[in-house]
Amino acid sequence: MSTTDVVAPATTDELVAALARATPMTRLLAGGTDLVNDIRRPGRQTDLLIDLSHMPALSYVRHDGDMLRVGAMTTFTELQADPLVHEHAFCLERAASQVGSAQIRNVATIGGNVANASPCADGATALVALSAEVTTLDGSGHRATRPLRDVLLGSGRTALTDGEAIVEFAFAALGNEHRSAFAKIGWRTAVSVARLSMALVVRFDPVAEVLSEVRVGLGAVGETAFRDAVLEGLLEGRPADEESARILAEGCADAVRRSIPGRYSLPYKERAAVGLAYDAWNALRICPPCEPAWG
Amino acid sequence: MTEDLRYVGKSYPVHDVAQKVTGELVYGSDLNFPGMLHAKLLLSPIAHGMVRSVDSSRAEALPGVIRVFSHLNSPADTYCRARIYPGQECAIDETLFSEHVRFVGDRVAAVVATSQAIAEAAVALIEVDYEELPALLTTEQALERADVPIHADGNLLYEHHIESGERVDTSGGVLVSSTTGTPRVHHAALEPHVCVAQGHSTGGLTVWTTSQGVYGVRTVIAELLGLEYHRLRVIKVPMGGSFGGKTEFILEPVTAFLAHETRRAVKLLFDREECIRATMVRPATETTIRTACAADGRLLDFEAATTLDSGGYAASTPDYADHMCEKVTRLYRLPHYDHRCQVVYTNTPVAGAARGWGAPEMITAVEIHLDKVARRLRLDPVDLRLKNLIQPFDIDPVTDMSLGDARVVECLERGAVAFDWTARRARARGKGRYRRGVGVACGAHKNGMFGHFPEASNMALKMNEDGTFELSASLHEVGCGVVTTMKIIVAEVLGVHPDLIAAGEADTSTTPFDYGTFGSRMTYVAGACAEVTAKKLKSAILAAAADVLQAPVEELVAREGVVYVAGAEARSVAFRDIARFGDMKHLPAIRAAVTYYATSNPGSYSVQFAEVEVDCATGLTAVTDFLAVGDVGRAINRGMVKAQFQGAVQMGIGYALYEHVDVDEAGRSGVDGFKNYHMVNAPDMPDIDVLLVEHEGDHGPFGAKSVGEIAMVPTAAAVVNAVNNALGTELSDLPLIPDRIIAALAASAGGGA
Amino acid sequence: MELLLTVNGTVWEVSARPTARLIDVLRDQMGLSGTKEGCGEGECGACTVIVDGKAVNSCVMLAVQALGKEVLTVEGLAASGELDTLQQKFVEQGAVQCGFCTPGMLMSAKALLMANPLPSDQDIRTALAGNLCRCTGYKNIVAAVRAASGQETVAMEVPSEKEELLADLAVPGLAPAKLDEGGE
Ligand SMILES: Cc1cc2nc3c(=O)[nH]c(=O)nc-3n(C[C@H](O)[C@H](O)[C@H](O)COP(=O)(O)OP(=O)(O)OC[C@H]3O[C@@H](n4cnc5c(N)ncnc54)[C@H](O)[C@@H]3O)c2cc1C
Ligand code: FES
Ligand code: FES
Repeated sequence: MSTTDVVAPATTDELVAALARATPMTRLLAGGTDLVNDIRRPGRQTDLLIDLSHMPALSYVRHDGDMLRVGAMTTFTELQADPLVHEHAFCLERAASQVGSAQIRNVATIGGNVANASPCADGATALVALSAEVTTLDGSGHRATRPLRDVLLGSGRTALTDGEAIVEFAFAALGNEHRSAFAKIGWRTAVSVARLSMALVVRFDPVAEVLSEVRVGLGAVGETAFRDAVLEGLLEGRPADEESARILAEGCADAVRRSIPGRYSLPYKERAAVGLAYDAWNALRICPPCEPAWG
Repeated sequence: MTEDLRYVGKSYPVHDVAQKVTGELVYGSDLNFPGMLHAKLLLSPIAHGMVRSVDSSRAEALPGVIRVFSHLNSPADTYCRARIYPGQECAIDETLFSEHVRFVGDRVAAVVATSQAIAEAAVALIEVDYEELPALLTTEQALERADVPIHADGNLLYEHHIESGERVDTSGGVLVSSTTGTPRVHHAALEPHVCVAQGHSTGGLTVWTTSQGVYGVRTVIAELLGLEYHRLRVIKVPMGGSFGGKTEFILEPVTAFLAHETRRAVKLLFDREECIRATMVRPATETTIRTACAADGRLLDFEAATTLDSGGYAASTPDYADHMCEKVTRLYRLPHYDHRCQVVYTNTPVAGAARGWGAPEMITAVEIHLDKVARRLRLDPVDLRLKNLIQPFDIDPVTDMSLGDARVVECLERGAVAFDWTARRARARGKGRYRRGVGVACGAHKNGMFGHFPEASNMALKMNEDGTFELSASLHEVGCGVVTTMKIIVAEVLGVHPDLIAAGEADTSTTPFDYGTFGSRMTYVAGACAEVTAKKLKSAILAAAADVLQAPVEELVAREGVVYVAGAEARSVAFRDIARFGDMKHLPAIRAAVTYYATSNPGSYSVQFAEVEVDCATGLTAVTDFLAVGDVGRAINRGMVKAQFQGAVQMGIGYALYEHVDVDEAGRSGVDGFKNYHMVNAPDMPDIDVLLVEHEGDHGPFGAKSVGEIAMVPTAAAVVNAVNNALGTELSDLPLIPDRIIAALAASAGGGA
Repeated sequence: MELLLTVNGTVWEVSARPTARLIDVLRDQMGLSGTKEGCGEGECGACTVIVDGKAVNSCVMLAVQALGKEVLTVEGLAASGELDTLQQKFVEQGAVQCGFCTPGMLMSAKALLMANPLPSDQDIRTALAGNLCRCTGYKNIVAAVRAASGQETVAMEVPSEKEELLADLAVPGLAPAKLDEGGE
């Protein structure tokens, strides 16, 4: 049993000072819902825990010009209840509401969700579809901003270096003509990690009556949440009708086939993908609810 | 019932509810003693092999480690974890620590240390070298590979064959065959397994257990450690649920050994992963049924073959198999019944006792099969069952005993009306993404173990100086309110409020011999014992009152704690005054001790109705409505009887839809916690209605019969039948996880996307 | 390390390893064993406590995360000696069997009622989704929470039976009717 030190920075300066001490054995502690069990696994060694839970400055949702800015320490409970998120990032609100249980959402943070880099991370899937950027801070006080998709490298793998903390996510706030949705298939209705998830963002021009700026984030298929350009292209310029729903569903099943060829769960997931796509589509509420045509 | 019941049939909370809601109650896992040591087990990481060497030197060198044990320095004697009395016939094949490891989770070594953290760290330092043997993970594999014996006598552990009646002419009948698989499941009592034992310097031993039977614990430990029974005290402590998972003695023998060797108090507390891997599971079974039916639906012939996966050790599985062969004829009238059951060792988690003791497994297979028969015959499933169900006081041809006042037909008839079965069954299932269906299933269970051995219970009851009462009985509260039940029964007989009666839990040093709280024996057998004991005590009170009131006993009546002379009510004396009369002249004699032998074992019945909605895209099934009807004889504690059904349905839905402990090619289960062992949580539970049928025609107290086990017997089948109704499928491999539903839909024509 | 934690209104000074979980400190250092551990991974809710008004799983939270915050455990519910309404309703509605989930259920329900005094059944089930119960099937638990919020409930035909009986029992000569709730 090695000894672990804990620091609990309360200001940005203190955080930078703490990050400067980081070694490969240092861990950032946000809500702890992933981390606490992880550091207790046999063989895990931690020299320093940097406890972010006393950094109120990292917990916020802010409108900034066209952008929505979300502090890394914002919890899912906060995201779920935030009027700005409701208005400008509905898919994130829906994703937040489906993370774990009330107890988990009360402490689990969006920063921890992304940094943990689980392929099933619901927050990450929504942020991917929102084309979020990630701002980090390191031990030299340097701030860097890069696209989320460059941070998520694979299951449990990120591009974050030792002593690099996520401080903020930023993305273009969705406007009046945008719609977004999140759908998830788990093992039960509540408290289940995703077996499949989708965040869907579209712009629906009420005059031209076509879809544009289509963004589809998929979770729990493959190594990490990702956007599927092929699938997005299929919907671009299409009307909001039942045929579009079908195309989305087919495309989604196809994306699943491309992502996990030969995987044991494929036969299930390729069919479930159809249901998932319809769930997401119907949640956009841009055309009357529809469902797949089963024989 | 002619008399009016004052306390029986009302609703009461469990006896220790106040301590439970305040967090004050000390459960087994909360126990702490001064100087107590902590144990941690090293569990086999491989499914099958021989331990070639154990090097514990690094573990022993760790400061705070007291001792390390393995097969090298512990008795090699074998025992059976399911033995409840000395000499009981059972398969004796387990040792404290294994040299031959037989499943992932088998006990290899133990560390005793001054703290849990040190014990855990030390276990990681033990180096074990294994020689791997082929892992036999299914019963087929195990039967095929006679060259790889899991135990010396081979992999076929036990066979049982039951036949009753005579073959009849089935020509012109409809033949149907089906195979149903039921999964290996985790009991998932919320409190993990725990045991604390104190080794005394005198060589004696005290064990605090969250077991369902302290006398069995004593039997197994005393015989294993060679202790005289009177120097070994086993005390039942509050426990967070069991469901059969704590019926057999898993942690007790090893904890007792560690405490005895160190002469210290030792606590062994499992975490959830250890509970899943290394305690016990409900056995996986596969049953093939072949029936022949007349065109009108009467069953003419019933043949079944069951294979039960015992896992790495026998535990109680042979007995389990016997019981699986005693379910069908408790439920249906069968001119001819033939059932072969085989129990097979495999290199998978040990199977054993689980709520229902074979009935959920067997009835699931029977009831899924009957729905298939109904489809072939185009009969309504309710009608088909009505044609075949047993009637009150039928003789069970297998056990040759009366089924008693068995009211399963009434359960089905009343349930069908309450559920609006006919209309709901006729309703369209839907063609779109979501399909609805309804299902019904009947279930039968027993009341204690009469017929298998001399089923009996012992109790002693005394009056205190202030007119309150104390019941001494070996009760094991598992959460279903057994203590309250006994208090209500005694209260009713004596005519005083249940709160004036104290009843403790089992302690081999102070409470009389009893097998324990399992086998659906508490209400029917122990409850009857309580009733007889209270009656005997009441006679003693009346005899004393006769002296006090100077009136003949025959003229006395007791009501609400007061004895009156009938017709001259002014002449009365309260219980307390009887106690105190004449310098306690009578009190020493106001006590009763009774040994009650059961003389019958009637059936308990339940019929359950489920409505489901299946999402054909995701394969997820929602149970949208549920009705459980129970033939319980008489509800002693009405609220708790209903609550038993509500809880059982939670477990049964999980059995049907979610829960299973699968193993991979290496024999290791991917299930290592509740994150991947899915139980039904609050949002997914339907609002369950419970309907009780009460006829009090049997020998239980005030006519009561067992509830806790029968309550979950037909649940899974009702759900599966509803899914099959919704989808037009014949799914029979439980649980119906989404992947299986999707695979079935993809396979069936027209179901594809 | 030394930690100052406020639990049930009392400030405790305890020494614990920096990686000690909140549940370990509550149970082992403070002797508050009402908080239970059923899974140790955030799935069962038996360890639920309230931190700054919100329900959390004390098994996936380090003690240091509670520094400077108010922790409420089941022992704090009846601090005045009288059962909280919620506890009372759990008793009356038959919401308790083995009781191992009960402390966590109570704390999740308490946090819900603190934020939403009139929850719907759906709200209650959502709030309790992270609390597993293997005994009750949840029906009576949901009913108890509903009853505690002052809303009508239809679950069990239990309540007030006991008071009525106790009142009846004021028979002269009989043992005092002041009884220890819940027996031994
Ligand atoms: C019962 C249960 C249910 C769950 N259900 C879901 C679910 O439905 N959906 C879902 O997506 N997840 C779920 N999770 C996983 C988990 O709750 C989330 O991933 C959560 O968002 C993690 O956040 P946290 O604040 O708790 O992170 P922590 O556990 O504190 O940290 C997680 C990881 O991220 C690192 N980290 C944290 N913050 C930062 C930061 N600001 N910068 C850099 N690195 C950081 C930590 O060092 C650690 O490696 C569940 C977990 C549990 C226990
Ligand atoms: S013990 Fe914390 S959630 Fe199970
Ligand atoms: S009462 Fe036993 S787990 Fe809920």
